[in-house]
Amino acid sequence: MKTARLVWGYVRHNLMSAMAYRGAFLLQVFGMVLNDVMLLFFWWVLFNRLPTLQGWDLSGVMTIYGVVAFGFGLANVVCGNSFRVAQAITGGELDYYLALPADPLVHLLVSRMSISAWGDILFGLVVFLIAGPVRWDGVLLFLLVGLLAGLIMVAFGTLVGSLAFWVGNADNLAMQAINALITFGLYPVEIFPGVVRVLLYTLIPAAFVGSMPASLLSDFDWGRLAVLVAFTAGIVLAARGVFAWGLRRYESGNLVTVRG
Amino acid sequence: MTRYGFVLWTAARQQWTYRAEMAMRAAQMALFMGVFLALWSTAFGVSGRAELAGYSLPAMVWYLAMTETVTLSTSRVFMEIGQAVRSGDLAYTLARPMSYPFYQVAYSLGNSVPRFMMNLLTASAVVGLGTGRVAGSLPGFAAFLGMAALALVLDALIAVLIGLLAFWIEEISPVFWIYQKLLFTVGGLFLPLEMFPAGLRRLAEWLPFQFITYAPARAFVAFAPGEVLRAAAGQAAYIGLTAAAVTLVWRLAQRRMVVHGG
Repeated sequence: MKTARLVWGYVRHNLMSAMAYRGAFLLQVFGMVLNDVMLLFFWWVLFNRLPTLQGWDLSGVMTIYGVVAFGFGLANVVCGNSFRVAQAITGGELDYYLALPADPLVHLLVSRMSISAWGDILFGLVVFLIAGPVRWDGVLLFLLVGLLAGLIMVAFGTLVGSLAFWVGNADNLAMQAINALITFGLYPVEIFPGVVRVLLYTLIPAAFVGSMPASLLSDFDWGRLAVLVAFTAGIVLAARGVFAWGLRRYESGNLVTVRG
Repeated sequence: MTRYGFVLWTAARQQWTYRAEMAMRAAQMALFMGVFLALWSTAFGVSGRAELAGYSLPAMVWYLAMTETVTLSTSRVFMEIGQAVRSGDLAYTLARPMSYPFYQVAYSLGNSVPRFMMNLLTASAVVGLGTGRVAGSLPGFAAFLGMAALALVLDALIAVLIGLLAFWIEEISPVFWIYQKLLFTVGGLFLPLEMFPAGLRRLAEWLPFQFITYAPARAFVAFAPGEVLRAAAGQAAYIGLTAAAVTLVWRLAQRRMVVHGG
């Protein structure tokens, strides 16, 4: 309950401070929507030449984009620091969170909001609604799988960012891993050869943030949903565990900062 | 001109110092090329055709290697300009004995050169190993190098133009995103213009974006002297126009600038 209040308080506060510059806020949100729309251009042209690609058509790929964008948006709106955990560790920023009575990982993750990520949420939802005939239960399922995709992204960002506890400057490495997750997540996993496909279900779990949730929306199956939920729970617990483990190695940066 | 050359050389040496960052960029390039190889192998396999829009599988993948080489070497100088405008640091740079926007162009090009070399090597290695052949000729490679140089100049000028918009709008990143996505789409980064529907292709051919990505890559995979000369003339014309726009916008921006002393 205390954690939920902390998360909600930060979301509300961050949104209010972003809205102080309303013009910049709207420019970033709609700029991102336009940015995301243009990414679909490639698939539109490709599917004009090929009817399907390993069972995926344009509406299927649009659904993948919808889920990934919605999850990415949610992850970066609520947990805006999830992709910069390594930077926070190496920069000695954890001192601030450790001195307060809230859960340091949750506090670190939620203390920043990406404004443009609101555009990803909007794009994700709209592109899903456009992609095909949707019933109300389909929307609920989309919100659920989008949330799971977002949680996987936050947990993966935390896991790779936590490498900084052991290897020092892991900022670039973490960024590369996160880029790989998003890049591969936007493509149907079936186009990749066998070995790469195994990697996309394990080391870089891109299949769990794109193809798998999107396929649940077109062809629902309780078993696959259970696998997705179990994987999400597993990676979230692993991220919490690894961060807590790494925290024991953390040394203060003696960084003096002023926080507004 | 010597001054700008010196700025370019210094920026290139500075970029070369950050080898770890360059290695990460190389890894990113290898990742993208791996994705494209998988995607286009599947697409050609599904279509059952040896060529799509005149491109064989190796030609398509080499085309993408060249467009990515240029695109991943392009300028991010708009961020520094935007930051300098917002923080007021711009005032310090005005004392330098050269034009601020063209100093930024030279600085940006200096950053691009080492990245370009690393990207070209990585993309060529991945695609060469993946396809088992080089889908280009030696004259095509020479034309690619020349046109890629002009493409990077044009891109740096556009990046400076976007940076100078910070004098009028608070947040310039969305403008950059749109520019970047125009390169992705009508610029032909992911798909050669021959794949486009006819109307869109005609429109794309007149826009500056294809001169940054499509034209150099096309010169490599399908070298034709007449086509290369026409495209290079187009690049030169857009460089002239954009340089004039930068000069004009900088003059307007200076009128909005207020320096309060040190």
